[in-house]
Amino acid sequence: MILSWGLADNTASTFKSSSMANTAHIPTSNSALIAMIADEETVVGFLLAGVGNVDLRRKTNYLIVDSKTTVKQIEDAFKEFTTRTDIAIVLISQYVANMIRFLVDSYNKPIPAILEIPSKNHPYDPAHDSILSRVKHLFNAESVASTRH
Amino acid sequence: MVVDHETPSLENGQTDKEVEENANVLQFMDSMDAYLTLIHSLSSTLRRGWLELASARHSMGASRVNTVLLDHTSHPAATSLLVTQDEGKVDSGKPHFTLCKWASSSNENSLLGEKQSSQDKLHPQLRHRGSTELCEEKTSSENKASREVDDPVQKERSKSLSMFGTLVSPKLRAAQLSFEAALETLVEIANMRSEMLCAFDQVNMKLEGRKDEK
Repeated sequence: MILSWGLADNTASTFKSSSMANTAHIPTSNSALIAMIADEETVVGFLLAGVGNVDLRRKTNYLIVDSKTTVKQIEDAFKEFTTRTDIAIVLISQYVANMIRFLVDSYNKPIPAILEIPSKNHPYDPAHDSILSRVKHLFNAESVASTRH
Repeated sequence: MVVDHETPSLENGQTDKEVEENANVLQFMDSMDAYLTLIHSLSSTLRRGWLELASARHSMGASRVNTVLLDHTSHPAATSLLVTQDEGKVDSGKPHFTLCKWASSSNENSLLGEKQSSQDKLHPQLRHRGSTELCEEKTSSENKASREVDDPVQKERSKSLSMFGTLVSPKLRAAQLSFEAALETLVEIANMRSEMLCAFDQVNMKLEGRKDEK
């Protein structure tokens, strides 16, 4: 069984950068944090599960997003969490990720891992998932059809 | 019978290279399927947690289950992650995440206890007839060990709940357990994500190589 896909020329560079990012050294840690950028219910729930961390400078590993939270605040939190060395996973509600979609899609490091999660009022949509968007190029129907003819 | 190892093996007309490529493709498809299944499982676990949290808020009052009550004093996370490099290949660039629930510094012994009890489950002791007393002693000591492991964990759970008051609704405790389960699923999702991206890179490298050959 051999599945053939056609590759669009403009995707080659994306794949190369993905490969290069994945061969980067993995910083190992025995007490890495889980950061959250999500709505109040989700953050409170995970704080109950013990993931909340407040450092000596009163900086937290979470941002509660509500109607008053600006896109700039979300962007700043995302940039901060993805550059901190003590964070291994960033949970972000998918509807929040959609507000900063360009930033999320352009992120390609293995650590911290960005996981898009559903929220109470916005169910998960695989079409918007950053990781699935990256790999869906392999399932380009037009390319499959063109290679068969 | 002389086996010729020099010519590539043919299986249904396929070379070893094609078999390897198909294996990479299958691994990618499997990991993507597992990723989507885990996301679906996470959605239902989170829905349960939100419902329980809403019920707790309803019974305790909105002012008692509120973000204003969150602890903003300096404190470490009770639940954290262990991040290691994947054991398959040194240069694979694939991280592996392990969840350490309620693993504060005072709970290191409890983690060791959990390891021991899980190892005992993998290697069950044989039952010896006529030594029931010994078996009972072992069983009671295992129970004692699991109770000792659970006590610090329960203490940490209670500490986490205490930010919403001393007496909390059973729904809030249930919500806590649901979100703990969601964390476990999330760590599985993170590991499956790494596998999927690794398999994706393998498939891409082969496709790019084939494109260059043309």
